[in-house]
Amino acid sequence: MPTSEELSELVRAVATGGDRQAFAVLFKHFAPRVATYLARGGTPAATAEELAQETLVAVWRKAASFDAARAGVSTWVFTIARNLRIDRHRRDGDADHPEALDDEGDDAADPAPAPDERLATLERERRIRAALRRLPPEQSLILQLSYFAEQPHASIARDLSIPLGTVKSRIRLAMQHLRRLIDAPES
Amino acid sequence: MIRHHPDDAMLAALAAATLPRGQEVVTAAHVERCARCGARLRELEAVGGALLEDAEPALLAPEALARTLARIDASRATSPTACRPGVTARDPSEGLQASLPDGMTWPRSLHGAATTRWRWLGPGMRWSRVTLADDRAANVFLLRIAAGKSLPVHSHRGIELTQVLYGAFHDGRERFAAGDFDETDDTVRHQPVVEAGGECICLASVEGRVAFDGRIARVLGALVGM
Repeated sequence: MPTSEELSELVRAVATGGDRQAFAVLFKHFAPRVATYLARGGTPAATAEELAQETLVAVWRKAASFDAARAGVSTWVFTIARNLRIDRHRRDGDADHPEALDDEGDDAADPAPAPDERLATLERERRIRAALRRLPPEQSLILQLSYFAEQPHASIARDLSIPLGTVKSRIRLAMQHLRRLIDAPES
Repeated sequence: MIRHHPDDAMLAALAAATLPRGQEVVTAAHVERCARCGARLRELEAVGGALLEDAEPALLAPEALARTLARIDASRATSPTACRPGVTARDPSEGLQASLPDGMTWPRSLHGAATTRWRWLGPGMRWSRVTLADDRAANVFLLRIAAGKSLPVHSHRGIELTQVLYGAFHDGRERFAAGDFDETDDTVRHQPVVEAGGECICLASVEGRVAFDGRIARVLGALVGM
């Protein structure tokens, strides 16, 4: 599996040279994972595959705006896929108004981070991955459902066999635990 | 200084884009003016990135890559800016009819929404209904309460989110000033009182009905449609 640094290099190769081989590696890595993310969120398999392709088209188009100081490639791809998912969902719900979350609006308003923030971002994402691995399986499941499920609360209640009324406090506990693991010095 | 923030569960739901639309605009209105929550949101988006990385890869059609490259070539043949016409060209405050005090600007999360003009709700109390283009049923509104005035005592049957846009109020538990965020549910029965120094404007989203105490208050509640 490519490392975070390698993924960044691949995106840069796409941005600067329109490198199709680099793009193919990014596609093979991300498109199947994005399709899984979308399918778990209730998107039908055929649509999930189409949206996964659309996500990677956006990766190609926006490669030049990828900023390794701000986020890792996986995080960047996650936000693109998330926006396409919600965009599609809302367009289907109300044909009146196609755009939903602004793709770059939030980022565009922030001042650009300093170059050495790139290392801090890499380190942050590494800590987050490590923290996720240290969560107990039940809290890990709660997080996965919170991010991926179409109706997170209902799914968590069903999968953990707990009443809907206690789901929110269980999510809070999982988030607090994750926060402690991210912030705590690793032993 | 901002003292009241959405919790991580709320910010994670914003990062995952699973919040009901009404809650999303109120929470996003907080995050856009709170550096702490902006940083936390980026961190929680990185949690999404890490979960994506860990996801079991789906089996795609063998020609998926070729199709995607074909789509890229096709989109390059046409104008690269043809993807979302009009979105950036539109005046962001178009449709927002409620007037604001000097120096106050609309949260960016409301761009694309429509508001009514300020409507009378009671002495010193005005409100404006916010209609979200992509979820017309979302119960979102602005409240504009004069200095020293208070809302009727009420509780909620669902979640009520409030972002203070201007001024400050005290609800008997805590003080909430411009930039502060509050989440209450059916365990809270409160009466926000605006500070004597000036008026207060809040953006709020309500899921479920609001239960006001007293007959006049119930009439007001019905008027607002809460």
